[in-house]
Formats: sequence, structure tokens, C-alpha cells
Amino acid sequence: MTADHDNAKKEMDRLTAGSVPGKEIKPNVAFAKLSDLMKLTSKGIVEWSRVNSLWPLQFGLACCAIELMSFGSASTDAERKGFLLFRATPRQCDVMLVAGWVTKSMIPEIKRMYEQMASPKYVIAFGECATCGGPWWESYNIIKGIDQVLPVDVYVVGCPPRPENLFSALMKLQKKIGGDIEG
Amino acid sequence: MLTRINIGPIHPSTHGVLHLVVDLDGDTIDNIEPHIGFLHRGVEKLVETRMYMQSPPYMEKIDYVAPMSVDEAYVAAVEAALGIEVNERAQYARMILLELQRLASHLFFIGALTNDVGQMFTGFMWGFRDRELILRLLEEATGQRMFYVNMRLGGLANDFPKDFKEHVLDTMNYLSGRLKNYESFLEKNPIFMQRMKGVGVLTKEDAIAFGVTGHVLRASGVPYDVRNNNPYYFYRKLNFREQTLSHGDNFARYRIKIMEMRESIRIIRESFEDMPEGDATGQMVKLRSPPVKNKTVTVSREAPRGEVMMYLVAGDQKPYRLSMRTPTFINLHVLNHIAKGNRLADLYSILGSLDVVMADVDR
Repeated sequence: MTADHDNAKKEMDRLTAGSVPGKEIKPNVAFAKLSDLMKLTSKGIVEWSRVNSLWPLQFGLACCAIELMSFGSASTDAERKGFLLFRATPRQCDVMLVAGWVTKSMIPEIKRMYEQMASPKYVIAFGECATCGGPWWESYNIIKGIDQVLPVDVYVVGCPPRPENLFSALMKLQKKIGGDIEG
Repeated sequence: MLTRINIGPIHPSTHGVLHLVVDLDGDTIDNIEPHIGFLHRGVEKLVETRMYMQSPPYMEKIDYVAPMSVDEAYVAAVEAALGIEVNERAQYARMILLELQRLASHLFFIGALTNDVGQMFTGFMWGFRDRELILRLLEEATGQRMFYVNMRLGGLANDFPKDFKEHVLDTMNYLSGRLKNYESFLEKNPIFMQRMKGVGVLTKEDAIAFGVTGHVLRASGVPYDVRNNNPYYFYRKLNFREQTLSHGDNFARYRIKIMEMRESIRIIRESFEDMPEGDATGQMVKLRSPPVKNKTVTVSREAPRGEVMMYLVAGDQKPYRLSMRTPTFINLHVLNHIAKGNRLADLYSILGSLDVVMADVDR
């Protein structure tokens, strides 16, 4: 990395050698790409790829799962931002989207799904019910929010949230994972 | 020797959270034991603690693919209990909204079914794209995308917006052309046909004995549709015909949905022609409701999945007891009967053709 850095500095010096002092010269395209690469290696190319290939787990519980399916359909083209295919098995997934209310009998299942996912893993609470219990606050069989059993990264409120809201939540998650790395 | 396989509760093809314990003889299904209750949330008890018009949001979450159909059944039950009349324009408006909801639900069914039948993702994409058009119309009329809470005592929350009729009729013209595409795409596909034709046959006698309703019953050759047999609103006036087929297999259940979509488009067009001028707005939601006229009420409605029945024992300001008959709880019962003897791979197409919504089963 240091050799690369030296090369880049030399290239910059060569480019700016004949220039008028005080006037900034924009580096050429090849150099711009090199500098991008420098930035990426310093931030970690692993993280960059992690940010841009978030595979969500196809795990719909209730109503919000319908909006989750709308998110995966043609109207919202999610793949352009790197939210690739919905996978049916937790072992291939990075993000768990809990969409819907969680009953007491579902808690062990949800915990098991979370444990089967490979680390690093992220959880999005999608909708009112997963966030705080929502309209079932007084129900005897619903837990008041998924954060009582799992660590949640992003909350999406709404009953149900629109597919666009999920899009923005996943972009927030990207920001949380990668900082200022752009997709 | 029998092999026991657990399917679910989390599985992409169980339409929610359903746990199936399947006993297999080789690759043939010997017995299925469905375990339900993973989405139970006690709606009937919650409704007893709410004022009458505080409950529609709970009702909409019973069948979340067609929320308005259950909501309307509940509001109609409250109207019958309190003795409130719905004016003519509001009745037509409700019919139009309900049929739009039926179209959205049936398009969802086709999308989910083609996904269940061996990853035909094109059908999923087509179904959801056309459903999105209907949802846009419903959003235009009610302001919400999925849960509308649009029914009020004696009418709707608000009348139709200005250009709504033109928008609906444009979409209906587009959709009636689209249905031909669905038919040619699906019914000329050998994979789809192999998993639909002759699979999961439910005979007429068994259908009546199990008490199934909706497209499952009509696909087995029983001409029963609440819109025709016990008509509400203006379904009788519109010369509505129920759609019946006699084969009782997966393919018949799918065909019924396509035929019903054509019928719904016709109903919407005719309703707009007959709809009188006026105001469809109902009463505002008040804290105190008017005195109860009828103590016990039973209201029956044809939801997209079958017959929804509301048995309401009216209290002073709150329902004393609300008992619901939801269609897919009973439709799911036939799964063991019709899937027995089929291959395991066909289980998903059978389950998909029954069109279950698990929140509707568990309540």
C-alpha cells in the first residue's frame, strides 16, 4: 500500500509540475480511479463489497410481508442499489427483515433463524408491529417489539410502510455498515 | 416405511407462518398435519374492548391481501345492529371499491401461485405490476395504499375524487386486455399445466361436506356465491353470474379466479353506469354511537377467498361478542384430504391454489 501511495504521489507531482501556480488541475480519469481505489483499500474493500451486496432473508410474517413482496417486484427496482435476491434460507443472507407481528410461539423460531445467519448480520424491524407491537399493544399473545429478542439496526414505522420506506431503510443500513462508502 | 418432514413455520411457500408435518411414503404424501396459531392475536377479544368504529383497523388486518372486504363486512354488521341505512350512491361506491379489492387480491393470487409452481418469476412480476395499478386507484379513492379504513357508518369516509371514474375505466380496459396475456402465458406453459391439471381434486360431495366456500367450492361445481345466493347492495340488479367449474382440481381453482376477474371488471363498469349523483360520505366517527336496534346480527359477505360471516351481539357502546367465520380457516382443512396421494412437490401448488392467508386462519 505504501508503494501505491508513493506512486500516486509521484503521478500527482508529474501532473502538477508544469501547471500555473494557484490554478488547480484536475487529475485525469485513470488517476481518479486510482485515488478511488486508494480510498477503498484504506476503508476496506471487504466493507465496500458488503455494503453493495446485502441479501435479504425472505421471511414474511404478516401484512407487511405483502409490502415486502411489492418491494421485490417490478415497481421498485431494488437491485440497482445492491439489495439482491430474497433468499429462502438464512444461511445465505445478511439482512433479516422482520415484517409483521411476532407472537409468543414465534419467538423461538425467530431466534433460531437469527442464529443460523452468518455473521455479520443485520436486522430491520419493518412496520409498527415489529417496532413496538403496534395495534396489538393490548393483545395477550403479541410481544411489544422485536427488539425484546433481537438486536435491531433500523426501525421502519408505518402500518404498513410503503416499499419506498424499506428502500430508504436499507440505504440507511448501508450507511451504517460502510460509513461514507458509496455504492 | 414413512418419512416425516417438517415444513415451516418459516417457508417461502406457506403464505405466512404455517407448520406442516408431512408423512411421506417414498415421494407420495401419506398424511399432512397442519399446525396453525403462529399468528394468533386475539382479535375477537380486542374488539370487545373497543367502541364500534374503533375496530375497523383490526378487521382490516384479518385478511391483509383483501383488507376492505372484511372491514366492510364488520361495518355492515354494525350498521345492521344500529339500524343505519346506506344511501344508493354509497352502496354503488362500496361495490366498486370491493370489486377493485377483489381484482387486487386475485392478481396477488396469480403472482403467488406462479411463484409456488416452480419459480415462474415472470408471473409474480406481472401479477404484482398489475396489482400496483389497482392499489394506485384505491389510494386515489381512500388515501391509503393497503389499509384503507375507508368505511363509515352509512357510507364512506369520503366520496370519490374528481377524475376517479375515468381512471378506473382506463385501468379496466387495460386489465381486460392483460387477462388474455395471463391466460396465454400460463395455460400454454407445460410446467404450469402439469402441476395444475388433475392435481388436488376435490369432489363436489367432499366440498360440501367440508364446508369450503369461495373459489374452492365453485371450482368443485357447486354454484354458491353470496353475491348471488344472498345478495347485498345491488348485485342482484346487475345481473351478476357466479362462475362455476366442475373439475375441482388446481387448474379449475385458478380458472375461477381468472373468470371472476372478468366478472369484476364487468361489475365495475356497470356500477359506474348506474351510479347516481349525490354524496357517498357516511357519518363521522363519533364517541357515542346511536342506540342499538337489533341485539344479534349475522352478516354474510363474499370476500375474495370465500364467505366472511360476522355474528355480532351488540352491546351498549361496544360489541358484546363478535364471532367471525373467516374463509381460509375452513378452506385449509381440505389440504390433507386433497393432497393425499400426490407428490410432495405438488403440495405447494395445492396449497397455493387454496389461496390461504394465515392471519385469516389464526385471527
